[in-house]
Amino acid sequence: MNTQNTSPGDNRPGGGQPVYRFRLFVAGDEPNSRQARATLERLCATRLRDRCELEVVDVFADYQAAIEHRIIVVPTLLIESPPPVRTIIGSLEDEAQLLAALGLSDGGPRP
Amino acid sequence: MKHGRKNPRSADAGGKLSAPAPRLEKAPTYICGLDDILEGGLPRGRTTVVNGASGSGKTLLGLEFLYRGALHGEPGIFIGFEEPPEQIRQNAATLGWDLPALEKQNRLFILDARLKPDLVRTGKFSFTGLLAIAAGKCRAMGARRIVIDAFEVALRLFDTPRQIRDELHALNNWLRDSGLTAILTIRPPSRSGASPSEDFFESMADCLLSMDARVTEQIANRRLRVVKYRGSGFGRNEYPYVISPTGLRMAAITSVGLRYKPLGEKISTGNARLDEILDGGCRRASCILLAGLPSTGKTTLAATFAAAACARGERVLYIGFEESEAAMIHNVTSTGIALQPHVEAGRLAFLTQYPEALGVEEHFMAALDRIEAFSPQHVVVDAISACYRMGGKQAAFEYLMRLLNACKEKGITILLLNQLSGVTSYMEISGNEISSMVDTAIFLNYQFSLGETNRVFQVLKSRGSRHSNQKREFRITDNGFVVEEVYLGEGDVLTGAARQRQEEHDRLEAQRLAFEIQMKELELQRLRLAQEQMQQARAQRAILTHPEKSGTPPEA
Repeated sequence: MNTQNTSPGDNRPGGGQPVYRFRLFVAGDEPNSRQARATLERLCATRLRDRCELEVVDVFADYQAAIEHRIIVVPTLLIESPPPVRTIIGSLEDEAQLLAALGLSDGGPRP
Repeated sequence: MKHGRKNPRSADAGGKLSAPAPRLEKAPTYICGLDDILEGGLPRGRTTVVNGASGSGKTLLGLEFLYRGALHGEPGIFIGFEEPPEQIRQNAATLGWDLPALEKQNRLFILDARLKPDLVRTGKFSFTGLLAIAAGKCRAMGARRIVIDAFEVALRLFDTPRQIRDELHALNNWLRDSGLTAILTIRPPSRSGASPSEDFFESMADCLLSMDARVTEQIANRRLRVVKYRGSGFGRNEYPYVISPTGLRMAAITSVGLRYKPLGEKISTGNARLDEILDGGCRRASCILLAGLPSTGKTTLAATFAAAACARGERVLYIGFEESEAAMIHNVTSTGIALQPHVEAGRLAFLTQYPEALGVEEHFMAALDRIEAFSPQHVVVDAISACYRMGGKQAAFEYLMRLLNACKEKGITILLLNQLSGVTSYMEISGNEISSMVDTAIFLNYQFSLGETNRVFQVLKSRGSRHSNQKREFRITDNGFVVEEVYLGEGDVLTGAARQRQEEHDRLEAQRLAFEIQMKELELQRLRLAQEQMQQARAQRAILTHPEKSGTPPEA
């Protein structure tokens, strides 16, 4: 876990705010997977601190899970909660785009 | 010494002098007829690309490859980017294939790889997920075969040709390392011009098949072509195929034109006078055309021929498009020809169908099936003019060409009846542009004179034998086809008969020459077509050897 760049705010525990449940499919330690994972972990440590669950699945270790969730490309992020389930593919290098997909873009729910 | 080189023709080469080249191992598809075309099957452990528009049956080909492979002890994986697995299972069930049973036994796995419609893309990604699943499943099942269906759909995820190439490269490498015998099906882009992925598809394929379904006059005509096959010989035609009630069926015709048996000995036409005119009869394994207006006696003459062959103990298959078997037998009975005993003795068989009832492939397959099962020495087609109704001129031409080829290869004599319409035109006589295949052409006509209508016939052509071009009168009696002496008009009644005969002779000679010219023109046409095909193949090869020079990026 690297928790660099801790920014202020968002440190209130869940109350009233939705809890995000992420399932991130990666392929071992390949660069795109590493980047997506880092981005997501950073987000969980900052904006979504204390209201985010992240499960990382390595498709090489658990291909059954990949079949079950129709994971064709890697990395794939499933936002399982809050509903509806959304799918984001790619290395998540554009954090703004990720935040938009999460409904967390600027002007979104900030304390 | 060249024995280090792979010889694509090694099957024909005898291979006694040089050390045998390491033969490419093949994985049989077990699809009816396809393994003959591919000279054994698909390249084992390598990738085959199947190219075809939607509705061409490429998915079915892939699925059947897996289904039959699984039944023969080679488990397989189907990765579908387009159809939901449930639909695939249902389609298979209509062909009697029980996919769920194979899935339960771990001999088949169908992966639903359809992309989710609401996908958001941000950043870079690759097909590693797919490859991880495939690799995991392969290990678990001991899979030997894999089909990736509609892969072009998956490639839409990527924006640049560069990315597409990288992904294809990764897939290609994985497939090579996996040792799986693979089929990739792709739908070629509808836009003109090859996309870079298409070039790459073609270059990564050791074997490239192209499937095509054309609809002409509401009848679907399907064709399969082997575009390339590295290190192996293959049939170079367009092969017709059908989706039969149990799966795909292809007609494997060996190379047209190269393996014809020479014409055989003379056989009787069943009429001594006609035999005389033909200098002893027709040649066995030849193609005889009987052309004429309706009711000029074509069927009677064909029945005479068939009865004579059966009487010699030979078998005749009568393919009829106009009348039922019973009607045909009954009609010729009045001319003293008894066919029923030959049918009962198993020497005469009928195949009667309405031309509109089936597509041209089904017609051809049905004929081929009967020929295979019955092994006739002679085949009668009554009438080739009806073949137009199978789906137009082209369909008729293809049906006849294939039938003729099949018969010529098997050394079967084929008797074609051609009904001419209204105006008698000798240009029509060749019938569906098959004239160069015809060895003997007999033209039947009416001759009107002094209130009488007489039947006359004339031999317009007879390859490899002397024959008389003179017009002969004949009658259809209750004792069959009776040829009169040389036609002399109406005897003494006619004045100036000699002059008329001369004129008539000149006119016929001119018509015969016109017929010959038409044949040459057709021959020329065919050669031009072959030349064009060669040029296309050359162009294709050039593209394959320099893929980076061609191909334009699809869009930004």
